[in-house]
Amino acid sequence: MTLFLQYLAAGIASGSTFALVATGFVVIYRVTGVINFAQGVFAVLGGFLAYSLLHAGVAHGLAEGVAVLITAAIGLVVGLVALGRRGTPPLASLIVTLGLAIFSYAVVITVWGDLPISYDGLSGLLAIGGVSMQRQYVLIVGAAVVTFLALALFFGRTYLGMALTACSSDQRAARLMGIDVWRMGLLAFAVGGALGGLAGVLLTPLQPVQFDSDVGIAVNGFAAAIFGGLVRPVTAFAGGLVLGVAEAMVAGYYRSSYETAIALAVMLALMLWQASRRGPTEE
Amino acid sequence: MPEGSEPLLEVHDLVVRYGAATALDGVDLAVGRAEMVALVGPNGAGKTTLLDTVSGLVAPAAGRIELRGRLAQVPEGRRLFPEMTVEDNLRLGAWRVRDRRVGPVYELFPHLVELRRRKAGSLSCGEQQMVAVGRALMGQPDLLAVDELSLGLAPQIVDTLAEHLQDLNRRSGMAILLVEQNARLALDICSRAYVIEAGRIALSGPSEQLRSSPEVQAAYLGGAYEE
Amino acid sequence: MIGPRAPSRRALVVAVLAAATLALPPVLPPEWQSLYVFIGLYAIVTCGLSLLMGFAGQVSLGQAAFYAIGAYAAAIPAVHGAPPALGLLTGPVVAAAIAAAIGVPLLRLRGHYLAFGTLAFQLIVLTFIAEAGDLTGGDIGLRGIPPLGLGSLQAVTPVQYAYVTWLAVTAVFLVTRNVVRSRPGRALRALATSESAAAAAGVPVAAYKVEVFALSAGYAGLAGAIYAFFLSYIAPGSFPILLSIQFLVMAAVGGLGAVWGSLVGAAVVTLVVQLLQEIGSLPAMPTQVPAVLSYAVYALVLIVVMLLLPSGIVPALTARAARRRRDDVAPTEATAGDDARASRLSSVL
Ligand SMILES: Nc1ncnc2c1ncn2[C@@H]1O[C@H](COP(=O)(O)OP(=O)(O)OP(=O)(O)O)[C@@H](O)[C@H]1O
Ligand SMILES: [Mg+2]
Repeated sequence: MTLFLQYLAAGIASGSTFALVATGFVVIYRVTGVINFAQGVFAVLGGFLAYSLLHAGVAHGLAEGVAVLITAAIGLVVGLVALGRRGTPPLASLIVTLGLAIFSYAVVITVWGDLPISYDGLSGLLAIGGVSMQRQYVLIVGAAVVTFLALALFFGRTYLGMALTACSSDQRAARLMGIDVWRMGLLAFAVGGALGGLAGVLLTPLQPVQFDSDVGIAVNGFAAAIFGGLVRPVTAFAGGLVLGVAEAMVAGYYRSSYETAIALAVMLALMLWQASRRGPTEE
Repeated sequence: MPEGSEPLLEVHDLVVRYGAATALDGVDLAVGRAEMVALVGPNGAGKTTLLDTVSGLVAPAAGRIELRGRLAQVPEGRRLFPEMTVEDNLRLGAWRVRDRRVGPVYELFPHLVELRRRKAGSLSCGEQQMVAVGRALMGQPDLLAVDELSLGLAPQIVDTLAEHLQDLNRRSGMAILLVEQNARLALDICSRAYVIEAGRIALSGPSEQLRSSPEVQAAYLGGAYEE
Repeated sequence: MIGPRAPSRRALVVAVLAAATLALPPVLPPEWQSLYVFIGLYAIVTCGLSLLMGFAGQVSLGQAAFYAIGAYAAAIPAVHGAPPALGLLTGPVVAAAIAAAIGVPLLRLRGHYLAFGTLAFQLIVLTFIAEAGDLTGGDIGLRGIPPLGLGSLQAVTPVQYAYVTWLAVTAVFLVTRNVVRSRPGRALRALATSESAAAAAGVPVAAYKVEVFALSAGYAGLAGAIYAFFLSYIAPGSFPILLSIQFLVMAAVGGLGAVWGSLVGAAVVTLVVQLLQEIGSLPAMPTQVPAVLSYAVYALVLIVVMLLLPSGIVPALTARAARRRRDDVAPTEATAGDDARASRLSSVL
């Protein structure tokens, strides 16, 4: 039983990072119609940036925060390239973000090399109701939940957030209000960058990252986002948690090498189910 | 158009293409300050395209647009943000201007006060059209372009909304460009009108004159027009 | 479209090319010979991918999965004593069969979803290969694959593999040309531009999509089979996602739907990457330089093609050359036709 609870805790923790990545996918997709393949790159870069800052003597907390700000800026740059030419079809933008993801490999290897890195997160255990779990887990879940609530407030209550929501709801109407949909798309990319970066700085202490860890992270995040049909953040968040727990259980009770395959199978099944229910999933 | 004053909106020789298809082909149109002008024509004539080009949503292939004031559009089909509340919809209408107070719109449409917290998607069509007009008014326009005011609405509601528009025009001098399928209504409330067909202005002039023109009667008014 | 003299001129060009292809392997320096094999293998895969994207309008980010399936389907029987030449059959057939089976549900997905779906498929295939150790040798890989041969006739040297490969290239190109020119082929063209229009015109869209998907997988499977015999060792690590991306890059360079473009795309990308590897492995260079350079090249090609040259690099260059040549005769007419014919990568997507 305690074993089960430990797997559960680990699953919720990694699921929370998936949820953050998934939310990034959703935010960008809703506003721009682009699926940002480089979503996993933000996490990788977040991890590497925090690693370098920590090694340069910057305090914990500040280092991670700065790393997240930098990934937000990187998100903006990715958005600029992906949306660079107005009228670029969304799937062409997907391939562009794929290109940017590969470009990041060149950058990461040049700057940091091709070996995995990690750093210490919160150390020690926390006992809750007889189950002891790593403090880092608690931090991850807490940070994810707080971020998610903050985002909900931002999109639902602030004027700027409402404008973003308007762009995702009806671009034509938003443009008629004078909202610059293209700039809002860049903003969405920046938010997506920050969310990915946050996932990365939280995840790196648990599992080392290397230059091409982005594929696994992006696939998990995308699978979670698919739960909500790519447009519903709450469902995407829940999807991340479900996926994280399912993978932790598979890894714990069966074989860890199957955990990604599980995410993929779930994602495929969900996509196919949605396609058969709604007819063509796109266009 | 009143002599002397510079028109609020002038469109000269406007050409708009969607790929290879020409949607507007040399359109000239003007709206004076405080004027109510109708734009009527059959489906696919290019009415929405004209409004969208003037609103900056569509880039013209050739021609000139001069707009000497602010323009707001009530789009065809209303296009509210359905999952947002009525009040949030209204507030977004003020994106271009600083002033986000919704009071004036509620004064115009008191019925909206009780709906303010409802999701826009849950309203009836008539209520949605009120919100759409209100949302456009939040942009404090000098020229209000309304695309298909009567689309899908019951006749009494259309009449009420039309009265509101006339009121706005009379009291605050807001110019109105009304795109309508219902030519009878449009000619009744506007002083001047343009008839657009297949991307070209086929006829234009004062409403009375168009009302009595045989072409207009045959094509848009379903036979002779009765007072 | 094609003038009366065009076919004969074309035939001449093809004949010269074929002769050059045949004459080349023995005279190439040894280190170029295997490069020559790889260009042929990649051209086969790219031709299928280009057909899938340019004609059926479907994107695949997992084409290397079928390359892997073909390699294992050819190698496993051979390792267990079956005549290796049989692998040239089992490789493409198994790959095509699996593609046909998964294509039925998978191709109901569109656009982004299909892109992720095919990527997911490849990752699942790789996991399966790594886990089914008894059959596939698992992570460690499958060693001791016998050389390709039938009876006493065996391909051992790179030159011999070059002939096998380019024979396969020829076969694949002939099949592709016939598919493209057939009635279904022309219907598929319509599919790439507008699926709903094609469906409205009575084209059995879903069935055609699956067929092209299976065909492209069969090509990849054939190339994979030859690859397995050529290297005599395969492992999951030989078929990374990046290989799928590499095929995508080659198709993007060559221009979609262009049979010859896939050859040019495969050759150009392979040679450029090889050149970068060589620059990168000069004594003074840090060890990571080759990898960095090839990642950067893949990335830049994808981005530039998508944003600036949506019809592909080769069609864009030939259109420009054609424009220059015809400038004094018919300035716009001819090139407009060229541009319209070249499938636009971005519109496919
Ligand atoms: N986005 C677009 N892309 C391509 N063609 C378009 C587009 N929008 C409109 N058209 C075409 O341009 C022409 C004019 O359309 P428009 O919507 O302006 O007509 P309309 O007068 O507003 O018609 P309706 O009364 O049906 O609203 C039509 O032939 C239409 O098919
Ligand atoms: Mg219209």
